[in-house]
Amino acid sequence: MMKFRFRRQGNDPQREKIKQELFAFNKTVEHGFPHQPSSLAFDPRLQIMAIGTKSGAVKIYGAPGVEFTGLHKDTAAVTQIQFLPAQGRLLSLLDDNSIHLWELVGGAPREVGGARREPTVGLQEVRSYCLPGRPGIENCSTSRVTVLLLLGSCDLLCVGTEGGGVHFLDLPRLSLRENQSLLQDQVIQSLPDDYRCGKSLGPVESLQEHPQQPGVILIGYSRGLVVLWDLSTRHVDHVFLGKQQLESLVWERSGKSFVSSHNDGGYSVWAVTSGNPYTQQPVSSTIPYGPFPCKAISKILLRTTVSGAPMLLYSGGMPRASYGDRHCLTVQQDKEHVTLDFTSRVIDFFTIHSVEREQEFDEPSAVVVLLDEELVVVDLHTPGWPTLPTPYLAPLHSSAITCSCHVSSVPPKLWDRVLQAGRAQRQAPQQQQQQQQRGSWPICGGKNLAPSAKQQELLLTGHEDGTVRFWDASGVALTPIYKLSTAGVFHTDCDPADDPQGPDDDPDDRREEEDEWPPFRKVGCFDPYSDDPRLGIQKITLCKYSNKLVVAGTAGQVLILALSDERSDHQVEVSVVDLLQDREGFTWKGHGRLDPRARPGPFPPGFQPQLLVQCMPPASVTAVTLHAEWHLVAFGTSHGFGLFDYQRRSAVLARCTLHPNDSLAMEGPLSRVKSLKKSLRQSFRRIRKSRVSGKKRPVPTTMPTSKVQEANAALAEQEDVAPVQRRIEPRSADDSLSGVVRCLCFADTFLRDGTHHGPTLWAGTNSGSVYAYALEVPGVGSGPGRGGEPGSGSGGGGGGGGGAGSSVEALLGKEIQLMHRAPVVWICVLDGRGRPLPEPYEASRDLAAAPDMSTAHSVLIASEEQLKVFSLPKVSAKTKFKLTAHEGCRVRRVALVALSSAVQEDYSEHTLVCLTNLGDMHLFNVPALRPQVRYDCIRKEDISGIASCVFTKTGQGFYLISPSEYERFSLSAKVITEPLCSLQLDRPLEHASASDGPTAQPRANGTHKNQTDQAEGQAEDLQSGLSSPAQDSPLDSPLSFADLTLDSTGELTVEDVRDFLTTVDEVENNMRNIKEEEGRTAGILIN
Amino acid sequence: PACIENKSLSYGAEFRRFSVDRVKPGKFEEFSRLIMHIHRIANMELMIGYADVHGDLLPINNDDNFCKAVSMAHPLLRIFIQRQEEVDYTSFGTNTLTRRKKAVVTMRNDVNRKRPHIRIGMPQDFRPVSSIIDVDILPESHRRVRLYRHGSDKPLGFYIRDGTSVRVTPHGLEKVPGIFISRMVPGGLAEGTGLLAVNDEVLEVNGIEVSGKSLDQVTDMMIANSHNLIVTVKPVNQRNNVVRSSRISGSSGQSSDSGGSTGYPSLSVGGGGGALSAGAGGVALESDEEADIVIESSVKRPSRRSNASVASAASTASPAPPSPPSRPPSVVSTASFHSQLSLNGSTNHQHHHHHLSYQLHRDLNLQNGPQTSNPALRHSNGSLHKILSSLRTDPRHSLALPRGGVEEDGTVITL
Repeated sequence: MMKFRFRRQGNDPQREKIKQELFAFNKTVEHGFPHQPSSLAFDPRLQIMAIGTKSGAVKIYGAPGVEFTGLHKDTAAVTQIQFLPAQGRLLSLLDDNSIHLWELVGGAPREVGGARREPTVGLQEVRSYCLPGRPGIENCSTSRVTVLLLLGSCDLLCVGTEGGGVHFLDLPRLSLRENQSLLQDQVIQSLPDDYRCGKSLGPVESLQEHPQQPGVILIGYSRGLVVLWDLSTRHVDHVFLGKQQLESLVWERSGKSFVSSHNDGGYSVWAVTSGNPYTQQPVSSTIPYGPFPCKAISKILLRTTVSGAPMLLYSGGMPRASYGDRHCLTVQQDKEHVTLDFTSRVIDFFTIHSVEREQEFDEPSAVVVLLDEELVVVDLHTPGWPTLPTPYLAPLHSSAITCSCHVSSVPPKLWDRVLQAGRAQRQAPQQQQQQQQRGSWPICGGKNLAPSAKQQELLLTGHEDGTVRFWDASGVALTPIYKLSTAGVFHTDCDPADDPQGPDDDPDDRREEEDEWPPFRKVGCFDPYSDDPRLGIQKITLCKYSNKLVVAGTAGQVLILALSDERSDHQVEVSVVDLLQDREGFTWKGHGRLDPRARPGPFPPGFQPQLLVQCMPPASVTAVTLHAEWHLVAFGTSHGFGLFDYQRRSAVLARCTLHPNDSLAMEGPLSRVKSLKKSLRQSFRRIRKSRVSGKKRPVPTTMPTSKVQEANAALAEQEDVAPVQRRIEPRSADDSLSGVVRCLCFADTFLRDGTHHGPTLWAGTNSGSVYAYALEVPGVGSGPGRGGEPGSGSGGGGGGGGGAGSSVEALLGKEIQLMHRAPVVWICVLDGRGRPLPEPYEASRDLAAAPDMSTAHSVLIASEEQLKVFSLPKVSAKTKFKLTAHEGCRVRRVALVALSSAVQEDYSEHTLVCLTNLGDMHLFNVPALRPQVRYDCIRKEDISGIASCVFTKTGQGFYLISPSEYERFSLSAKVITEPLCSLQLDRPLEHASASDGPTAQPRANGTHKNQTDQAEGQAEDLQSGLSSPAQDSPLDSPLSFADLTLDSTGELTVEDVRDFLTTVDEVENNMRNIKEEEGRTAGILIN
Repeated sequence: PACIENKSLSYGAEFRRFSVDRVKPGKFEEFSRLIMHIHRIANMELMIGYADVHGDLLPINNDDNFCKAVSMAHPLLRIFIQRQEEVDYTSFGTNTLTRRKKAVVTMRNDVNRKRPHIRIGMPQDFRPVSSIIDVDILPESHRRVRLYRHGSDKPLGFYIRDGTSVRVTPHGLEKVPGIFISRMVPGGLAEGTGLLAVNDEVLEVNGIEVSGKSLDQVTDMMIANSHNLIVTVKPVNQRNNVVRSSRISGSSGQSSDSGGSTGYPSLSVGGGGGALSAGAGGVALESDEEADIVIESSVKRPSRRSNASVASAASTASPAPPSPPSRPPSVVSTASFHSQLSLNGSTNHQHHHHHLSYQLHRDLNLQNGPQTSNPALRHSNGSLHKILSSLRTDPRHSLALPRGGVEEDGTVITL
């Protein structure tokens, strides 16, 4: 037996080769808005933008699809970034006072799964430098870098420090020019006596190079002094004796004047004259939002225009008392004055303007504002300064993401209609601006080399505020397409009386605001506040062939929507389904159900609600599935599940899944709060206890002399605290929340007997129960001779379908109780060849290969602990894999994906992907359930990342790495969506050594497991680990025949005997299947 | 005595539950008479004992310890009655550990001495709740324990925690993280076996090493295997390695995973028809598989479609299980008495079966049966006797059935 096992374990090289051609794990691109951005830079020559984050990531964006990412070794915030224009290099300053030089390098050609891939360009750190502290002075804050200035010649970096010194570094070597530093003492000497007054000048706040005279820089000190310093002569050319604390400086293009912004919310214009080296007073000084005390203007920009008056842009400066909490950027030119009012903090901004020396004017075309939570671009060319929609960097979390759903290969028709609906939606708020020509996206550097997507992919995200957003997920840039709001269907507490589906910035509001001062304009879409938490979206499912969308939410609401190109004013029908049925003794203590609005319309073009089903009690919907071909929607909550026929507008079935002992389920969402309170209390108690025990500790008579002893004592005290314990107890039937319905699935399969197939519904619960219902759907044949097409297709109206007058009926066919009682995560029916059944309409419209109905089907049930395949119609176990027993991990997410070979055309395999609570991906073949490979994917601590993971049909996936970012990954060696782009640089592109190519790139945010080349190795380890259990008793085998052979006891009635006989057939079938399976694949033991 | 409750079991024995005024328990003499009266025992010297909260068997022979005993009841007090001449006084005590040790010593020397033989019931009447396995392939310092749950409602009953363990490596001693048993639930299966103890280091779970795995992972593994949990531990108390010492006396070195292997500490009676129908009990016990229950709705009455190995498991789901009636929860703590003596039962009643058949066997020999015995039982005892005598010839069994048998000798009737 052992020998046999080991022989088989010697992996079949042929199979190994196929595996390499099929499976490859790559984290490919990060979608969305970088979490906690901290700095911004722009390269006007290459037209690319860089964003640094608090986690030490640097991301470069150009035209849509052009993206580069770099990650500093230390996770310190990137406080400043500077491009070396046109060189594809950038400098970053970190919070830890180190300066880093980055460079774009060409990657080595790679090979994935035997297929050659284009080399990509990556961002690589070349050099770093840390300014030394002044010798002899321990307090290093004086050498802390406050500002960086890169001279136009790109060979010298000026570094301003906290101590007021300016240091010079040669580029690109990043070496300090010794003895050339400009220290404060030197500047103070050239000041008039009355200005000195013995105080220091404060940190360097701003460094700006003269726009016309290279090598002359303007140095602004915090106390208010501004000095014009000539680098070549090392001489103070001019001194501006400002008295107000300085925040920032900006040159006028001609170099004849500059503007300074101040702490008191004002700005001053200074003239640079060649005569008197001392200027006492600015030409003009303004506090725009005075006269009451104002907040500082943290940054100011002055841009000249052809049309006359220069444009002034500045952040902050709001009246402290009335609007001190607003995050604002003011744009003013002549009489036009707009205060852009953002929902999150302004981090930095820049204008896009002409930089050629020959040009006389700046002529700004756009201002790009980086906020804490989003990026806003305002078109300055277009009158009225409208905002430009961003093609990427969309704030996914504008309202918190609560769920997501991916739709692969969207039919072009649906795609176009959704695009159109989205376009109409975006135009609506702009209508009063007379449909101007929109400016184009100004950050357009680089060229996207990625081949255009063969098929369109939609990512749907559900949000806390009841909206569903549609994203174009076909390529590297995740672009918003369309937004659907469900809030309008309901009556919420803070309900404006009128149109809830109206645009974000209401024209009426704006008109009112025009009289206001400051002239606020709300900009941006980040809005984390939800009107009513019950509106939150929990589950989404879309039928891409019938354009039916089902959206289910926190208060048990299930909305069925249909796509329409016309505005509609119809009534939404409401049905209430009682999931408790006749269960008594339960009282729901949670939130009430949402009140549907009497007149919710009119609905704009797009997805329009047709029908609202509300579950009672109104617990959050935990599972939803739709079969548009049968016009059925099934939904589950923590109390049970229901089946609704939305064509005939009738509830077909409601089934309570509550266990009699499960009282917690009735408490509603509040019970969680309670338990949190309890755990808080406990932890406080523990802390208190540890403190007390620390005090009680007798003071040793001999003083602890060494620090080590003290540390040890402290350590010992820590150990006094009770360690974390875990109770080892099997799951019991009355574990709390056992009735939660975890998954639902429709299938046309064999439930009653082996010859007649028909519609079925499967439901799995938290306590390991699976209910299988046989459905009678009029017009859908239940046998080899199928009935005709079901009636009326995607018609929106009611009306009878195929069989007039008859209704859908559901009969409980089987009830399966998994003995290990683990929650059932996923159910899928496989056809006679072990492939998943096609989606609704796919078979009837010849869009996919018809399922094999000639041989026995099977059902794959994935629980948190094990994967199991049962034969149908008699539910007997065929194969299984016990993941938890082996690995100690629990299944969190399961999907069946089709992976294509990267080398062989037309070869693909269906693979079961399991994401576990440890954040690793296990891949199994179906239906044999043999482990293929395992990859580390998400840190196990990142629970929200694991919970948010969604898979595509082709083996890609998305998960949240922060509230605002999706990481896209690929398990397929063939289907990889990653940035593939080029930049035209001034320098020859160097090539990185093959070892540290961009494939091994670290990812941002530090939420990832380190992904090195060990994936393959781990796979091997897993294999050997699984194939050789340490003891010789067959504790578990993926293919256990015991299940089949022992299935002969129990009371045998006549019917049972008949069943039994079919089982014998099946046993033979299974044996045959298994044998075939063996022939094809290897690498697994048979005990 | 306020109310008297009779519980009749399948063997016809009677267990009595009655109440005593906790505040005024009265005199020992009265109590002794009461017991004699309730059980209709006459003219016999009795030794009355009770199980205290620690599970130690303590005598009741005067007013003082009777009062103490009554005050210990929470709310149930388990009283044990033995014939005076059969009382093994070594089984009384307060220190479980020293008593165990003594028992081992006694066992080694006394095999042929006073006790003629050790009797156990028929294998198919019993169901193991735990066993030590793989003795021959494991290092002496390790112990591999198998816990059988068989769908009983008794909790597995232990907790695990993180900790550090010291390993000997080529570089000297090294501290490595490890998983340890942190707590036992009184009355739980784990405690009942006496094979696991607090601070034992967990090395493997069902053959898979736990090193490198987190506490949560190990927890999940154990729960996933809970129906047939095999834990390899390094006992914190290395002096009690009973299994090894029994090997000295020439028991066969061969060991298998089967129910009758070396160091099989004790057996208890199976509850229902399920175990009996298993035929070759070993097979049923060995199958690690618990099949899932499938209920077909076309048949209104839930039919059991599971295989033999599931019979016991299925009984939990079937509406009226023939298996042991559920224990009153109040008895949970008293059950720990047995655990201290390493006599394992998945429920109290299973214990009673054990004692009962045991006692009946003795009664047959002595021609002095209690009044409660009935012909049916006698009949079953005949076959029991045969089995036992055949077992007796196997030295391994008489050697390996150790402390439980030694200490549980004598007539035990539970009130």
